[in-house]
Amino acid sequence: MKPDDFEKHLQRQPLRQVPAEWRDGVLSAARQATRPQPVPRIARDGLWAVFSTLNSQLSTLLWPHPAAWAGLAAAWVVILGLSFTTGDAARHVARRGSSPSPQVFMAFQEQQRLLNELVGPREIPAAERPKAAPPRPRSERRSGLMMA
Amino acid sequence: MAPLDFEQLYDEHAQAVFAFLLNFTRHEADTRDLLQEVFVKLARRPELLDGVRDERAFLLRLAHNLAIDLIRRRGTQDKRHEQLAAETLPVFAPAAGPDEGAFRQALGTALGELPSEQCAVVHLKLWEGLTFEQISELLGIPLNTAASRYRYGIDKLRERLRPLYDEIR
Repeated sequence: MKPDDFEKHLQRQPLRQVPAEWRDGVLSAARQATRPQPVPRIARDGLWAVFSTLNSQLSTLLWPHPAAWAGLAAAWVVILGLSFTTGDAARHVARRGSSPSPQVFMAFQEQQRLLNELVGPREIPAAERPKAAPPRPRSERRSGLMMA
Repeated sequence: MAPLDFEQLYDEHAQAVFAFLLNFTRHEADTRDLLQEVFVKLARRPELLDGVRDERAFLLRLAHNLAIDLIRRRGTQDKRHEQLAAETLPVFAPAAGPDEGAFRQALGTALGELPSEQCAVVHLKLWEGLTFEQISELLGIPLNTAASRYRYGIDKLRERLRPLYDEIR
């Protein structure tokens, strides 16, 4: 595609020159960049960048209702506190109950012996005795009565 | 590998990079920052120029990418026209005669009103003398896209500048 007269005319328009005073600034910045950077600063910047990213992510996540999130966190802290307190008490009681002292054990045996002496041997109630024969259907019982 | 001669690189190509960036960004301070960033980037990573046949094309591509990044960061793509209306940034050298001066000023304004992608192609074609193939490589766009962007851009400039052009012809 060959340029027409209009395009040739545009091509002839000279562009503005780069300001001469920029040269030193640009070149000195380039020379400065060739020098190696100190390592600790890079490490510190990296750590800072990690914290900054974390902070921004959390801010984005909690931004819509920060007060609500804070309330929820406070409620969880209260729940966890209560859980730890009551859990400790229950464990304490269980520990005490699981290993009775010999004196308590002997006192309990003595009480049981006295109870046996006072009440006597335990009889099995009639209701608990096993039945002699299994129950038959009602129709069989009725026919047996009629025959008798 | 021989150390990079920044002074020679600057003297040979800074004018072309400056004109391209000024036409693309329409902002003198941004142009200076980006021009400096191009050379700072090369200073940090001189290996980027290893195996490069056309240094100027490479520098222009680097400048274009950095300019795109800047525009995206700032989100000022839409503000380009407002900025142009607020200030008449001279893109062309001063003219000797008033007619030619008026034409250059109108041309600068008309270029600023083009979409940035059309402006980039028109600039590279007219004032860098690159082929569409070179432009497509430099800007990372298909050949046909480069040609069509040029055609749309030139048509708009022709329509806008026709009265002044007819006067001075």
